[in-house]
Amino acid sequence: MRKDELKEDLNQRFERVLEKVQKAPRYTGGEMNTAVKGWDECPLHFGFCFPDTYEVGMSHLGLKILYGLINRENWSLCERFFMPWTDMMALMEEEQLPLLSMESRHPLNEFDVVGFTLQYEMSFSNILAMLKMGGIPVEGKDRGENDPIVVAGGPCAFNPEPLADFIDAFMIGDGEDVMTELNRVILERKEKGMSREACLRNLAKLEGVYVPSLYDVEYNADGTVASVTPNCPEAPAAVRKRVVTDLNSTYYPEEFPVPYTEVIFDRIMLEIMRGCTRGCRFCQAGILYRPVRERSLEKLIKLAEKLQSSTGYEEISLSSLSSGDYSCLPELIRELMRRMKDKRVSISLPSLRIDSVLKESLEETQQVKKTSLTFAPEAGTQRMRDVINKGVTEEDLLGKVRDAFEGGWSSVKLYFMSGLPTETTEDLDGIADLAQKVIAEYFNVPKPQRAKGLRVTVSVSVFVPKPFTPFQWAAQDTVEAVIAKQEHLKQVLNIKGVTFHWHEPYVSYLEACFARGDRRMGAVLKRAWEKGCILDGWNETFRYDLWMEAFRECGLDPAFYANRERPKEEILPWDHIDSGVTKQFLWREKEKSERAETTKDCRKGCNGCGLQRWKGVCAYANAGSV
Amino acid sequence: MRMLAVFEKGERIRHIGHLDIQRSVQRGLRRSGLPVAYSNGFNPHILITFASALSTGACGKREIMDVTMAEDVSSEEFLDRMNKAMPPEMQLSEARPLDQKHPALMASLRAAEYDLLIRDPGQAGKLTAAIPAMMAKETVPAMRKTKTALKECDIKPLIYELKGEGQHILATLVLTEREACKPGMLIEALSREAGIEGEEVRMLITRTALLGMDENDRLVPLETL
Repeated sequence: MRKDELKEDLNQRFERVLEKVQKAPRYTGGEMNTAVKGWDECPLHFGFCFPDTYEVGMSHLGLKILYGLINRENWSLCERFFMPWTDMMALMEEEQLPLLSMESRHPLNEFDVVGFTLQYEMSFSNILAMLKMGGIPVEGKDRGENDPIVVAGGPCAFNPEPLADFIDAFMIGDGEDVMTELNRVILERKEKGMSREACLRNLAKLEGVYVPSLYDVEYNADGTVASVTPNCPEAPAAVRKRVVTDLNSTYYPEEFPVPYTEVIFDRIMLEIMRGCTRGCRFCQAGILYRPVRERSLEKLIKLAEKLQSSTGYEEISLSSLSSGDYSCLPELIRELMRRMKDKRVSISLPSLRIDSVLKESLEETQQVKKTSLTFAPEAGTQRMRDVINKGVTEEDLLGKVRDAFEGGWSSVKLYFMSGLPTETTEDLDGIADLAQKVIAEYFNVPKPQRAKGLRVTVSVSVFVPKPFTPFQWAAQDTVEAVIAKQEHLKQVLNIKGVTFHWHEPYVSYLEACFARGDRRMGAVLKRAWEKGCILDGWNETFRYDLWMEAFRECGLDPAFYANRERPKEEILPWDHIDSGVTKQFLWREKEKSERAETTKDCRKGCNGCGLQRWKGVCAYANAGSV
Repeated sequence: MRMLAVFEKGERIRHIGHLDIQRSVQRGLRRSGLPVAYSNGFNPHILITFASALSTGACGKREIMDVTMAEDVSSEEFLDRMNKAMPPEMQLSEARPLDQKHPALMASLRAAEYDLLIRDPGQAGKLTAAIPAMMAKETVPAMRKTKTALKECDIKPLIYELKGEGQHILATLVLTEREACKPGMLIEALSREAGIEGEEVRMLITRTALLGMDENDRLVPLETL
């Protein structure tokens, strides 16, 4: 068959599959603002892979940024790939269809670069599945000169080791600048017919790029890491994360793809700042996205207007790790409201922190639309909140809740974690106490003044210790301990008006293994995937039994990764990645947490996390601090 | 003022359901910056109606919407701005202002024209050959799906026109707020007549026109009424 006949045949078979599959619009593309660039006019083809379903992937801001950024260049083209659901996978196999791009329906292996975004550990098996369906050897060592370079970035790239066998190069840190640099190197490979090996070595020279095959890992007899050593001159001993210093001059899309069907976050996401100065000790994002950088009010207003007119969305959400900390938040909200009122666009604040002075803003928000309010005290007692450095008091929380109830809100969501280091039964009971006090605040508001239908939702997740946090050395609760705690919570939270949600303990256990796993976890991942594990983030497809079999067959113990307290001197599998924050700072924070001692917000003075070593990167850094 | 507009639902997006098409049109209107009218109340929405919902899986050549504008706009400007704001698969081909008292589109709808592309040429031949025999019958029973059950009905009085052309079956079928003959019902009945009952008939359904009745009781495109 000729090339166009082959393409037509592929199309026909794909159409046949679409007639049978559930939720076909997940796979059909053609959405507003999706770039359809000429395949032959662009020398470099980037396949952006989101290793989860369309609905999850299309809700992700990073995809929108990089999609726009790559397509903006006249020499590069970016097309999207998502993880098909199980019914689609079966139909594709039946028709012998490869994984095709949403835009031009090219198979994944026809792209020059294949890039995965790593948002959470439970999507790892999907990466293997997508590579396989895309006709690309799953392991880097098996890839040949005609295969794409497989790259990955995102928060989970900070501990790249469990994926080292499958990903050729990782981008660590902010993606905006390094993305284009990486694409240029790969374009050079294509144009000059450079070998794969030479290309990978060139990639390793880029700041923020980690090429795992250029490092040798040795282990001690007890299974801990003995050393990680570069095996070629191009590979640096430590890979320093990339940081974009000025968000105002950094690329941000002025249009987003607009899905036809409803996705999880179906609205304009306006990233008002990156990073967080709070220093919560459980929070990985709070470290990885340091330092805090704000977009200017003027820039945000301009972006909001452009995005509104290019997408037609009805809602704008201000996104960041801690939107309440944005320095001109009330002004921003007022100005957005003023400009968006006639367009019937509502403004929502997703990650509301309870200690932000927002009463005035809250009143303005509900002018257009009222949703439920979310608070994240994270722990039930003051002692526990001090241990995790969540600088929030019960008074703060109740004050904000009172404001909300007086302002006509009746629905409140409270987020907590269980299994935090040093947690006792008292701390669990504190969660129920807090819920009771929230309810009391509602009934303190005179009846005619308050909105009807009180709803308090208490969500308790299982704590997962993450790399680059002060708890990176901590042991996770065993599954049995988690279940016992959940049973206890169920009893104490059996309160009228309270809905209690908890997390699947088995998923959190596996998440902990991957979060702090080493290279040997790659074998477990591959084995589990071969046994049929995919879509592990979904209850209906998660197979804990198969995962445990995979661990056994690979001779590894999940408890070694999840439930073991690690000593100070241990070489952690991710020690050769430099997040900007030093191990000494994290250890200091860990010791303070054990004394329930808090650390101040960076805005109130530099805490010497390590970023002060990098000149001009952090606005709050004090070079003299320890 | 009210604006009637004719738009397409392209082949690529044929699996998109009616609710999503509605939302996409509304977002298109919002992108266009045209002065659309909104409902009052807590969750304001654009005042818009569609002549008929098109099934998931079907394409539409001349689907019709009726939008209430807050200010007067010319048809040209409406078309121009909307076509810039809509994806390639949902372009508009026509727009015209409607009198405020113009009856609701749905109420005037009488029938729809379909072009059914039968994927298998052999099946297409058999189905086309069976048309005269079926049309000669007094009644043509078919199964109608209701929300809860399958109900038998007679589709003979619901067929205005039916013919075969190559791999295409062209049909004009009753479509009103009260009753309708869906293409699937027709093909099922025709398959029985052709002796291929039970075989899966793969087809691409395109609704090519929505029809109303003029004062001489002739079926004419709804948008011309």
